[in-house]
Amino acid sequence: MATIGMERINKVYMNGFHAVHDLSLTVDEGEFMVLVGPSGCGKTTVLRMIAGLEDISSGELRFGEKLVNNLEPKERDIAMVFQNYALYPHMTVAQNIAFSLKLRKMPKGEIRQKVEEAANILGLTEWLDRKPKELSGGQRQRVAMGRALVREPSVFLMDEPLSNLDAKLRVKMRTEVRRIQERLGVATVYVTHDQTEAMTMGDRVAVLKDGALLQVDTPQALYDRPVNQFVGAFIGSPAMNLYQAEMANRGRSLKLGSQVLTLPDTILVARPALSTYSGKQLTVGIRPEDLSARPHLSTSGNTLRCEITLVEALGSELMVHFTIDANLIQVEQVNSQEQDILSDKNEGVARLDPSVPVKAGDKLTLEVKLERLHFFDPTGNAIYD
Amino acid sequence: MAVVANELPKVRRSPTNTKIKRDTHSKRLARIGWAFSTPALLFVALVTIFPIGFSLALSLSNVSVTGNGFSLQGFTFSNYYELLNSSTWRYAMEFTVFYTIATVLVELILGTAIALILERLTKGRGPMMALLLLPWSMITVISAELWQYIYEGTYGVLQSMFSAVGLGSPVFLGSPTPAVVSMMVADIWKTTPFVAVIVVAGLVMLPSEVFEAAAVDGASSWTTFWRITFPLLRPTIAIAVLFRILQAFGLFDLPFVLTGGGPGTSTTSLALLSYKVMFQNIDYGPGAAVAVSATLLVIVGSLLFLRVFKAQVGKEELQ
Ligand SMILES: Nc1ncnc2c1ncn2[C@@H]1O[C@H](COP(=O)(O)OP(=O)(O)OP(=O)(O)O)[C@@H](O)[C@H]1O
Ligand SMILES: [Mg+2]
Repeated sequence: MATIGMERINKVYMNGFHAVHDLSLTVDEGEFMVLVGPSGCGKTTVLRMIAGLEDISSGELRFGEKLVNNLEPKERDIAMVFQNYALYPHMTVAQNIAFSLKLRKMPKGEIRQKVEEAANILGLTEWLDRKPKELSGGQRQRVAMGRALVREPSVFLMDEPLSNLDAKLRVKMRTEVRRIQERLGVATVYVTHDQTEAMTMGDRVAVLKDGALLQVDTPQALYDRPVNQFVGAFIGSPAMNLYQAEMANRGRSLKLGSQVLTLPDTILVARPALSTYSGKQLTVGIRPEDLSARPHLSTSGNTLRCEITLVEALGSELMVHFTIDANLIQVEQVNSQEQDILSDKNEGVARLDPSVPVKAGDKLTLEVKLERLHFFDPTGNAIYD
Repeated sequence: MAVVANELPKVRRSPTNTKIKRDTHSKRLARIGWAFSTPALLFVALVTIFPIGFSLALSLSNVSVTGNGFSLQGFTFSNYYELLNSSTWRYAMEFTVFYTIATVLVELILGTAIALILERLTKGRGPMMALLLLPWSMITVISAELWQYIYEGTYGVLQSMFSAVGLGSPVFLGSPTPAVVSMMVADIWKTTPFVAVIVVAGLVMLPSEVFEAAAVDGASSWTTFWRITFPLLRPTIAIAVLFRILQAFGLFDLPFVLTGGGPGTSTTSLALLSYKVMFQNIDYGPGAAVAVSATLLVIVGSLLFLRVFKAQVGKEELQ
């Protein structure tokens, strides 16, 4: 049991690539820290540095009070789930899971009990005598998971451990992982691409981009108060719609293309800085769930008229793709990932109640929850004051 | 619901028909394999099976030497009886087996150790390997001459070195046990690099993440070697050892040059014995029988080794 303290950690690879920049992050005892970020942002690199598999170029890594920069992996007492599983190909599933326990000279009976328990949780009981190459991707991933879960380490590191499981199993495993982690009370760093996983599992979520930490906070705080456009767009699914807008009327009205939203006083009171943008361009963020359909066509300062281009019916809700005549802002590394082929570059998304009768080609009036708007300055930083 | 389920056609899984057939894909692969290797196999058959067959025929015949060659006269087992009753043959057999096991074992240990060091060298591995391969690339007869010069009783390099440090003048090739040991040293010097290079090749192919997992799991380097590296290297080691067994069982040029099989018959291997009986004693029948016994030894030895090592090369161990 220990905290993980990272203090201005940098990683420069042998080929000169600077993969992690000045990362400072503390994971408390028993805390579940989720690391998210686009592919190639350095998540695996961070985990590997914590594990001791990769040298730390500069900065300090501490477990508790102890500086561990120069400790060998085996001296760090960590359990890790590798992104590529890294199973022992010549051992059976049971042997893979038991390996670390055997090294710790645990009595045979106890090992068997632990392996069986883990296999039970992970649904691997049938496969215990198989070799890794006789397993499917998802089964291998569960073995990798099992290898970590039988341990009682001082630090858990998990690199996208559920990415290859089917949706149902993933949901089940999410709770199992949290349950085990909570029981052991071990500081955990968990890497994921999955929004829901990040939001539901993490005590806190750290957002990384290009090797730099952008923001670390509770899932709700990240969702409510992203520090910049990137975090705003990255957290939440579907991604926040970002439009280029112009402030007018001393911050009272917001021009989106040809349409105008009238901002209530409460927003200006909360964010007086907005008035300084009067006559200037900024970026407004509207989450798909902060839009709702308004059947009648009156425009009253909190509505946007749009044209529907695509409707995705998900049963419990509708994902309605629409266009308005304002400029949609693309955030690199977010939209390129999420955007499906069907949708056009200039499309926004609204998450609507399925009872709304809409179809592609319709004109629709959307009501905007104005108090939930996000504002970003032209450099992309959020405006909160 | 239950009714509906009952009405569904039942999927029969007859228990008798569960024998798994090789799928068509691997069958096709096998066919292609045969197609490609047939010419080579025919060639091999021509140059190896024929001589073996001929030796077999010789060994089972009464061979009489005539003025311009020899002739086969009738079928007989007498050559083999002669063999079994010959203490020279028995000794040659025992010597060859002992020699093979001892040298291969030492070469394997030394070779693997060198390979482990080489694998860690990221810079300069190439030149080191080239240097290491020098002994191996030398023709055995020449390296044997070299060792002859080292071991020689009066003017030999070792001789003068020993007397220089006042250790008297030990005998190297002149008495049985030292002769055997000296020959083994020369052999190990020459062939350890071969084993090392094969093992290095195996080592660099091993997946690095497995070793990372072992490090995280808390394995020491000793445990990692025995529990991870060695098992994963088994197919590679099997190949190296197999090559070496085949070569060592055919031991000929080293004793031929160094000791001529002596002193007495103490370093006479099966191959050398066969040569001596055939071409020095001009005794074709028994000579061929010795050769056949050597071939049998190679086959049995290799099979036994594979059995013991249980290496299903390239099938089981590597993912
Ligand atoms: N050994 C290496 N040498 C040089 N550059 C590397 C090395 N390993 C990774 N990188 C680079 O460092 C960056 C971060 O890699 P990393 O594997 O940490 O990304 P990641 O966030 O885990 O991505 P993903 O989500 O795709 O797994 C990438 O741009 C990658 O190309
Ligand atoms: Mg990664």
